[in-house]
Amino acid sequence: MSFEQILFYLFSGVLVLSAGAVITVRNPVHAAMFLVLCFVTTSALWLLLEAEFLAITLVLVYVGAVMVLFLFVVMMLDINLARMREGFARYLPIGGIVAATAVGIMGLAVGRINFGLDVWPAPPARAADYSNTRELGEQLYTTYVYPFEIASVVLLVAIVAAIALTLRTRPGTRYQKIEEQVVVKKSDRLRVVQLESEGRK
Amino acid sequence: MLENYLPILIFIGIGLVVGGGMIAAGFLLGPHKPDSEKLTSYECGFDAFEDARMKFDVRYYLVAILFIIFDLEIAFLFPWAVVLRDIGMFGFLAMVMFLGILVIGFIYEWKKGALQWE
Amino acid sequence: MNFEIPNFMLAMPEIFVLGMACFILILDLFLSERSRVVTYLLTQATLVGAFLLSLGLYSSARELTFSDSFVLDPMASVLKLAVYAAVFMVLLYSRRYLRERGMFRGEFFVLGLFGVLGMMVMISAHSLLTIYMGLELLSLSMYAMVAMQRDSRVAAEAAMKYFILGAMASAMLLYGMSMIYGVTGSLELGEVSAAVAGQGSQLILIFGLVFLMVGVAFKLGAVPFHMWVPDVYHGASTAVTLYISTAPKLAAFAMLMRLLVDGLGALQPQWHDILLLLAILSLGIGNVVAIAQTNIKRMLAYSGISHVGFLLLGVLSGSPEGYAAGMFYAIVYVLMGLGGFGMVILMSRAGFEADQLEDYKGLNERSPWFALMMMFLMFSMAGVPPFIGFWAKLSVLQAVVDANMVWLAAVAVLFSVIGAFYYLRLIKLMYFDGPLELSPFRPSPDVALLFSVNALAVLLIGLFPSSLMAICRQAMGL
Repeated sequence: MSFEQILFYLFSGVLVLSAGAVITVRNPVHAAMFLVLCFVTTSALWLLLEAEFLAITLVLVYVGAVMVLFLFVVMMLDINLARMREGFARYLPIGGIVAATAVGIMGLAVGRINFGLDVWPAPPARAADYSNTRELGEQLYTTYVYPFEIASVVLLVAIVAAIALTLRTRPGTRYQKIEEQVVVKKSDRLRVVQLESEGRK
Repeated sequence: MLENYLPILIFIGIGLVVGGGMIAAGFLLGPHKPDSEKLTSYECGFDAFEDARMKFDVRYYLVAILFIIFDLEIAFLFPWAVVLRDIGMFGFLAMVMFLGILVIGFIYEWKKGALQWE
Repeated sequence: MNFEIPNFMLAMPEIFVLGMACFILILDLFLSERSRVVTYLLTQATLVGAFLLSLGLYSSARELTFSDSFVLDPMASVLKLAVYAAVFMVLLYSRRYLRERGMFRGEFFVLGLFGVLGMMVMISAHSLLTIYMGLELLSLSMYAMVAMQRDSRVAAEAAMKYFILGAMASAMLLYGMSMIYGVTGSLELGEVSAAVAGQGSQLILIFGLVFLMVGVAFKLGAVPFHMWVPDVYHGASTAVTLYISTAPKLAAFAMLMRLLVDGLGALQPQWHDILLLLAILSLGIGNVVAIAQTNIKRMLAYSGISHVGFLLLGVLSGSPEGYAAGMFYAIVYVLMGLGGFGMVILMSRAGFEADQLEDYKGLNERSPWFALMMMFLMFSMAGVPPFIGFWAKLSVLQAVVDANMVWLAAVAVLFSVIGAFYYLRLIKLMYFDGPLELSPFRPSPDVALLFSVNALAVLLIGLFPSSLMAICRQAMGL
């Protein structure tokens, strides 16, 4: 077994175990942390496939941003842990059978016999100065410009949807108006009143 | 290509050993005699008033979601910057278009008051 | 680098819809609540403009651009025209409904337009990636539209179910696509098709196909991936139900055609079997479970599932005639679905959803004309001649018989006879039961007119079905 294969099995082993932990641990914060571990090991797997840009993006976007939000939500949300786990044991047998069957069939179909390295040889390893990011960039903004632009539309829809679903302006809310604060003059705020001085009686 | 990432692997190994080692050392060497008072969460010497979990204004999530969307957008900029010289005017305009569409989203959220704090 | 500057002219309708959607999004910010109608009118104008653009681009040639990830062929043109028309009618129907429920907001229309854009992308897709992007654009818009009624618990629940199940289905679809990409080495459907033809029925390809089918069946709402359909149709406000139950079916049909016929045509024997199973289950479960429903939106949802079964029958026959019949069925289903949910909108008023079957009791006494129109629609859905639904079913059955599957045609007929029961039950409620309320039925004139036109179209096209059929046959190159 080559060093890379050992790494592959190591990372995928951790990935599968932590993915299992995500759905079985009691504390949702721990589940989110295991999900972070899943992402990190997945990114290691991608790196083994020489997809370095995707690997780094996964860590940057998912671990760096999405999971932080996720943890934030999980820590703050008012969730009833006991109720969340209700029915887990009830649906475990049937869910387990379905999952086991699916995994079994998938293993048979994409297992060693049909999809092993002797049937589909691995592409040759890249040289040390190979840049996956460059390769991706050359295709993404020219050949795949159409899906690329649609991606930005999807992000736009995400913005619109997020705002339309969560933003609720309450009447009578007071905002800071910075431009008014800046242009304010002394005469707007200060009134000098002349008072007759009165002598001590 | 993978040989470039060997240092990172070594760092992961060192990180695991150091991080895990510290926790293990603390666990093994330090005295620990827990009792029920020590295990309760510390809140300025009072008994804890309520659960740390509570209803939260959905606005916080909105800000976080908007951040993620623009974070994703940035991810698209990296390969573009790397190959900007090779992809010519077309590639440049493709990104201008991409950013333009997202700027519309930005104008929308700004004008809508999603960035306002109450 | 060999890269060809794409021909933007072909994608003009998409660009137009995108530009207008962005414009409306910004413009809506500056409109006061009273002038919100401008947003609505502009949205409708966008659909009309896109209709004209697509009509102008119609040609019998098949043209590829954007490095072959975009295709404009007659099927794409016809389906796009049908999508614009359907969404136009959806918005016409729902205007008053949205106003009465405080949902007349700019975002609703903008999301609707983005959904239309997603459908257009799916219909014109010629690469796995484009299909997926279009699907995500459409789905994301629809999830948001369902959830938009924020104060309603059912709507929130429906949106949640729809989103989680939809994300699962997208993941399945993506996994299947990745398998097919791995084996064929290309995302572009032409190259996929050539590679598949060269390699024959590899196990890995079939593996990918199965996952693709899960995703597509979910989007179509075919049994056993139908669980979301009744819940979402029921939970969403009727205007949104009207949207998601009609036009996206056309896009899902296009996705089915692109993936199975354009991409994996060489695997026809394999996907034939999968479609057969989906079709029979959809016909059976859709028709039988619909009988047990007391909510008309749920009933129409199950009826929609059974219609999807029929649509799949046309595709699985594997001939251009069958595809044309499937397309004809899809368009006819959209017309009838518009009428069906339009009827619920027509009956509803502020604070009254009219989504129970009892609400239709004795409608004949209150308004004979609308009872008659509803009867037309129900007859058409049940497949009674001379309404359009009959011809749609007939053409599909003909294709099935031509493919030497007489038994399958018999099964389909049997289930549609069972299905006729719940359509006729509604007619019985309208004509033979006493009304629950005696107040005269006064619908708003615009919806009433639209509904009448819709129902009469079902009759009129049914009397002269050959022109629509000819368009569909032409679209399939016949």
